[in-house]
Amino acid sequence: MNFTRIEIPKPARFVSTVVENHQLSSRYFLMVLSKPEGFPDPAPGSFLHMAVPTSGRFFLRRPFSIFDCNGETITLLIVEKGEGTRILRELGAGETVDFLGPLGEAFPLLPGQRILAVAGGVGLAPLYYYQKFVSRTLDKRVCPECYQLVYGGRSEEDLFLSAIDLADEGSLLATDDGSYGFRGNAAQLAEVELERNPVDALFSCGPTPMLKAVADLAVQAGIAHWVSLENRMACAVGACRSCVIPVSAKEQAGKDVKERYKTVCHDGPVFNANEVIWERLPEP
Amino acid sequence: MSASNNDISVKIGPVAFKNPVFLASGICGYGEEYASIIPQKKLGGIVTKTITLEPRAGNPPPRIRELPTGALNSIGLENVGLDAYIREKLPLLKDLEVDAVVSITAETEDEFTRIAEAFAPLEGYRGIELNLSCPNVEGTALDHGRDPAYVEKITSIVKERIPKKTLWVKITPNLADVGLVARAAEAGGADAISAVNTVIGTDFDLSTGKPIFARVGAGYSGPGILPIALFKVWEVAHSVSIPVVGIGGISSVEDARKFFLAGAIAVQVGTALYSDPELPIRIVEALRAHPEWARREGGST
Repeated sequence: MNFTRIEIPKPARFVSTVVENHQLSSRYFLMVLSKPEGFPDPAPGSFLHMAVPTSGRFFLRRPFSIFDCNGETITLLIVEKGEGTRILRELGAGETVDFLGPLGEAFPLLPGQRILAVAGGVGLAPLYYYQKFVSRTLDKRVCPECYQLVYGGRSEEDLFLSAIDLADEGSLLATDDGSYGFRGNAAQLAEVELERNPVDALFSCGPTPMLKAVADLAVQAGIAHWVSLENRMACAVGACRSCVIPVSAKEQAGKDVKERYKTVCHDGPVFNANEVIWERLPEP
Repeated sequence: MSASNNDISVKIGPVAFKNPVFLASGICGYGEEYASIIPQKKLGGIVTKTITLEPRAGNPPPRIRELPTGALNSIGLENVGLDAYIREKLPLLKDLEVDAVVSITAETEDEFTRIAEAFAPLEGYRGIELNLSCPNVEGTALDHGRDPAYVEKITSIVKERIPKKTLWVKITPNLADVGLVARAAEAGGADAISAVNTVIGTDFDLSTGKPIFARVGAGYSGPGILPIALFKVWEVAHSVSIPVVGIGGISSVEDARKFFLAGAIAVQVGTALYSDPELPIRIVEALRAHPEWARREGGST
């Protein structure tokens, strides 16, 4: 398939301030940061590596995919999972944050191709931003109307309808409990949609079972699939090799390389799904 | 205080470094990874990720576990191998203007010899750190790192081939008597002892009842190991007369100062780089402002 990698600017460390932490549901919030001077326009799929501001204990930085970025602000969609994300949620307007970014490989541009993007949970961030990015950059190589977003959450609360304009923008919505839209998960809704409207490529980001289901759909349909993966990270710049996933290894003559690994932080987080060894993916 | 031009250079073996602050091996990859994030050329130098004769894929994930006091890692010496290092990574260091010490390990005397011979005619690096203490691989490298006779032999094999470079021997803290191994390295011709590598630890997943890591044991690093590292450095400094490079749990300028008090002539920053990438530069600036905090001569006091 003809595709273009979006050129990724070199990452740097930035210090910025919180504009607002906007609670979307019991677990999710949007963190709006003021865009620091010199922060380059990030590509959809790239992420920030945020320091957890505390002197009380040791924290590694936390990676968050960029949900939106405009002239003044950078927005992250965060699900509160533990102490690190709780501390970040409790930051008030004007408090300082420190992050590395933008980091990682982005979703590719697919000139003239139709894309179905399947998102679950915080996996919404890069795929929502892709839609914004494509419509804002007015890149002649892609058409915004060729991009269909499918999003699923546990229930209506997880669709953030009052805060995010998903329904207005024609996104297809699913809930596990059927409280809004399609009853089922995003991958099941994507399967229905694929039968109605075939596409050239799938994008996905979300919980691992959903990603596996989308990978199966791509194989059945014989179409390309790019997936954004999550993992625990330390450096986020490809140095420490902590966040690796197993990928299919090409035979190397004479070398005893049984397995091959790629870093989620630097080789990814966006991968061509056909190189991912799904059954041995670590739980993030 | 603006005494920022104070000379804090330090000589370790035949090589002078502009200051005594380094990035530890395994932390900053091959030097290119952090190039746009921190000005590595302002540091005394970096120790590049350990390489082996052949490329290694490393351990299966998961490879990292965060703890309130640091992290456990089980990377397993993933590296590009000697040939690719010399061909692709070593030339980058010159472009980056970084003074690099190359970390190496091997499983046999023959392999150490071949690696040392490959580096002998090369320029673009300031020395070699022998990693005889990685806890995350099978067998020989770590076991040999506990055997004084072997450490002496390997040290002399490598030093003989790079007489004009500095040779550091990195030792494990997982020994009752680190002085024995340090003295063996000194006898073999080491220019410095790097102390210490990670402390072996483990963790369990309560939901599965199983160890987090496939190899069970993993390398514990971060602020929690500071007191262990400080004491091992103190012990080594009282066991040998060559310089000691202090490593382990440094996460503030004050932590770095304690290593100089324990007898180190230089320090390496490790895990803290991931949370606080500016820390090594802050340590350099603090030492320039207070050169009396650093130690200019090796050996015990």
